[in-house]
Amino acid sequence: MGDFIERSKFSCALGGALSTIAAIPKAVPIVHASGGCAAALSGTYNLSAGYRGVGYCGGNMIPTSNISQSHIVFGGEEKLVGQIESTLKYIKGDIYIVVTGCQTEIIGDDAVSIAARYRDQNVIGVNTPGFLGNTLRGYDAILSALVKGIITKKEQKDPKTINLLGIVPGHDVFYRGNIAHLTDILSKIGVKVNSFFGDGESVEKIKGYGDASLSVVLSETAGQITAKQFETTHGIPFVTTELPIGPKASERFLHLIAEKLGIEKEIVDQVVETETKYFYSYLERIVDVAADLDFQRYVAAFTDSYYAYPIVDFVSEELGWIPHFVSINDIQDAKKQEAYAKKFEALTSRTKPQVIFEDKVGLAKKKLRASWPYNHNQKYYDALGPLYIIGSVVERDLANDYGAGFLTVAFPVSNRAVLNKGYAGFRGALSLVEDLLTNLVASR
Amino acid sequence: MPVKLNENLKYNFLAADEPPVRDERVGGCIAYCGSCSCLQGDFKSGCAQAQNRRFSQSGGCQLGLAVGIINSLTRAVTIIHSPLGCCSGLAGSAGVRKTSRLSRGLTAEEQTFIHTNMDELDVVSGGLDKLKRAIRYADEEYHPEVISIVNGCVPGIIGADIDAVVRELEPQISARLVPIHCEGFKSRFVSSGYDAANHGILKYLIRDPQEYPQLTEEAQIKYDFQKKFRTSRTVNIFNVGSNSNGDEVELSRLVSALGLIPKVVPLNSTVDDLDHLGEAALNVSICATHDDYLLGHLKERYGTEYLLDVLPIGINCTNTWIRKIAAHFHLEKEAERLIEQENKELREAIAPFVEELKGKKIFVGGGETRILTTADFYKSIGMELVGIKAHNLDRFVENLLNDIDDPNLTVEVAAGQPAEELNTLSKLKPDIYIGHAGANGWVTKLGIPNIPLFGAPINYMGYSGAFELARRAARALKNTNFSKNIGKYVGHPLTKEWMDLDPNENIVQGSRF
Repeated sequence: MGDFIERSKFSCALGGALSTIAAIPKAVPIVHASGGCAAALSGTYNLSAGYRGVGYCGGNMIPTSNISQSHIVFGGEEKLVGQIESTLKYIKGDIYIVVTGCQTEIIGDDAVSIAARYRDQNVIGVNTPGFLGNTLRGYDAILSALVKGIITKKEQKDPKTINLLGIVPGHDVFYRGNIAHLTDILSKIGVKVNSFFGDGESVEKIKGYGDASLSVVLSETAGQITAKQFETTHGIPFVTTELPIGPKASERFLHLIAEKLGIEKEIVDQVVETETKYFYSYLERIVDVAADLDFQRYVAAFTDSYYAYPIVDFVSEELGWIPHFVSINDIQDAKKQEAYAKKFEALTSRTKPQVIFEDKVGLAKKKLRASWPYNHNQKYYDALGPLYIIGSVVERDLANDYGAGFLTVAFPVSNRAVLNKGYAGFRGALSLVEDLLTNLVASR
Repeated sequence: MPVKLNENLKYNFLAADEPPVRDERVGGCIAYCGSCSCLQGDFKSGCAQAQNRRFSQSGGCQLGLAVGIINSLTRAVTIIHSPLGCCSGLAGSAGVRKTSRLSRGLTAEEQTFIHTNMDELDVVSGGLDKLKRAIRYADEEYHPEVISIVNGCVPGIIGADIDAVVRELEPQISARLVPIHCEGFKSRFVSSGYDAANHGILKYLIRDPQEYPQLTEEAQIKYDFQKKFRTSRTVNIFNVGSNSNGDEVELSRLVSALGLIPKVVPLNSTVDDLDHLGEAALNVSICATHDDYLLGHLKERYGTEYLLDVLPIGINCTNTWIRKIAAHFHLEKEAERLIEQENKELREAIAPFVEELKGKKIFVGGGETRILTTADFYKSIGMELVGIKAHNLDRFVENLLNDIDDPNLTVEVAAGQPAEELNTLSKLKPDIYIGHAGANGWVTKLGIPNIPLFGAPINYMGYSGAFELARRAARALKNTNFSKNIGKYVGHPLTKEWMDLDPNENIVQGSRF
């Protein structure tokens, strides 16, 4: 099982659950745990996810059973019952999700059964103790419970509707912007997206997600469990791909979806052509400065697997930067690591990146240092530079040490405020270029 | 007659692995809604302390507060023995530690922390092997002066013995190891976390200071004399996580003005600073809720007298704080001269703000000592105090509480619990709210303009802090469009049934905690 982690870029399963619930419109969490868990975990995503805020019923507002010493001995189920009943009276919500912390799971409280008693009042229960796993595990716990518990079974599928999974709210700091961009390009080829968290979603709409004919998972480490749940409960098959960033990746993405849904290739080609033209009509603006100031960079990426390949693919295949080093923190299984590292062989850059899997920040830094010949004070030294580090705020000092350009994309992001921005698709990639280059010209 | 805040409290807990939680050691009230006069009575009779609430929301966790202290130390690595959620907020505060240290003129340090990442297997096994490896890793990679091991709920419930790990590894590790017992479920009072961290500092970090050999007998005599003199004039000011460098500079200035030598400890200290904690004539608290445990035990260890009184916020309380320090050194006359001069200058400076703020209604929410002193300041400049809300109430504010001369003042006691607060605020309709982090956002959603009760870069304490308090409140009222817009277009999730309820109906007597 998992080793210790230095400067973890995850919270626990309960944290992931709360962050996920906060992204579902008018969803209210009821936390069966000690008093501090809910506000602290909600605070993590408020402050470390581009100042996303606590949401509709987050932070200190979260109803909590406030388990303490005596409940650890005598059990806290009674307290939970009281909390559910008063929450139903005092907090407006379209769905109430009872989630559990470590304390109540260890003592064996059956929160899920208690929640089930209130099923007719839109209450469901999910086991989400911190020790179950990280943020991503909490995301899957909540979504698969919704898939199993509240999404209506439909025999009749809509051939052009998909479920979009793997975009973890808060953990993907740009989740709303990314969903908006993907919904937009998919609508252009006639595909409707069930996104759980996108603009215009609601619990009512989520209940109808059983009509999709495909689930698309954009991550190897999140959404897989939910996709399987969709498959077993609703008979919806799934496909795993990457978050598409930029014209080439988006083109691959649209073709994959179109093929799976039986949409004519010509429709996709048409959209890709228009959108690529749009992309380059804007990218053109930075051509002069990029050339005159020599903006080609070596790239070192420190992210989770959700962002690692998509980002490196974009800067390599679209911007022509040199992918040098990729450090990924969320895949532990050796076989899966190998498969993931293989993806980078598809890059057309002559230099292929060194790909490592490391969740101890200190060791990741050391490995970057070891990835390039040392300076032995020789007269001529081919340095690792100019370098651009794409990662999280944790890598800020590292970027400083290398005098590298620096952009925070992966969680935690606490050095920038993010509202509706996203990097996915054709148009999101323009925002990414803006941000990458803004940091290079910021001092001018 | 004002009583000594820690009358009859004992400070002899260092033989134990962990301190008693505040529930046992101090006690206090965690749930109350009513008028000030009722509370004063109920607090004396003990009824207020026996209350709980039906509908409850998330509050705080003592682990966060303990880490706030222990993780501030210079060249320290914190190991959180728990699943990944506890302290996950540290991930995004990479720059906070750095800016806080740079603001104090200290070297920039990265925020290094390790999670033992306890999973389902570790719930069975205790995860102590992982913990040992993490300790060795921290020592080898970073050579820190301090490695603290912070115990979360999971090892706390299953009884994983981190103290045994510390005893076992201590001889092999160059850093000083300190286990901190701050499991969230153990206490209803987050302030237990302060005691947990201070217990660790007292028991594991403070060692006898190294004396450097002198060359000659004459030099030795001179050295000893200087040291004795310096110690006789030194005042340790005990800082807290919520105070800024500006606060420390201001309080140090006031102590210096009396001709004394200020030293600010223990946050951001090196282990060397901690070793020399005993070299002071007086230990001065700025917040009794924070550090009675530390000061009490330091008296036991070094015999250093200490002052546990008022938080120096606002004019009256800062005056009192200075007078009490001065009295210890028989500097009463000097103190009065200083106070007279400072008060005169300050009152002239805040006059334009006072003009703006006079008669405006204000509500203050947050930690007990800070809200009572902050409220006292705003009241003293002519604002109308309509209510206060404390996380909890205990003996450390009994004097301040008894000083409130408005029997009908609305008092709420609740850690977090924004529902109760929003209910009260919607009835009291203050012009401005001042509150603890986490509450202000909800108050904005109610449409009420607000400013934070504390904040890392902001000066709140001493006379310059009083100036800031007045200046900020006046500024906030210059344009209140943001809260108006948010109140109108965003709102809060509470039902009409709740908002119409008397919040006191949510309070129950004697329910099991």
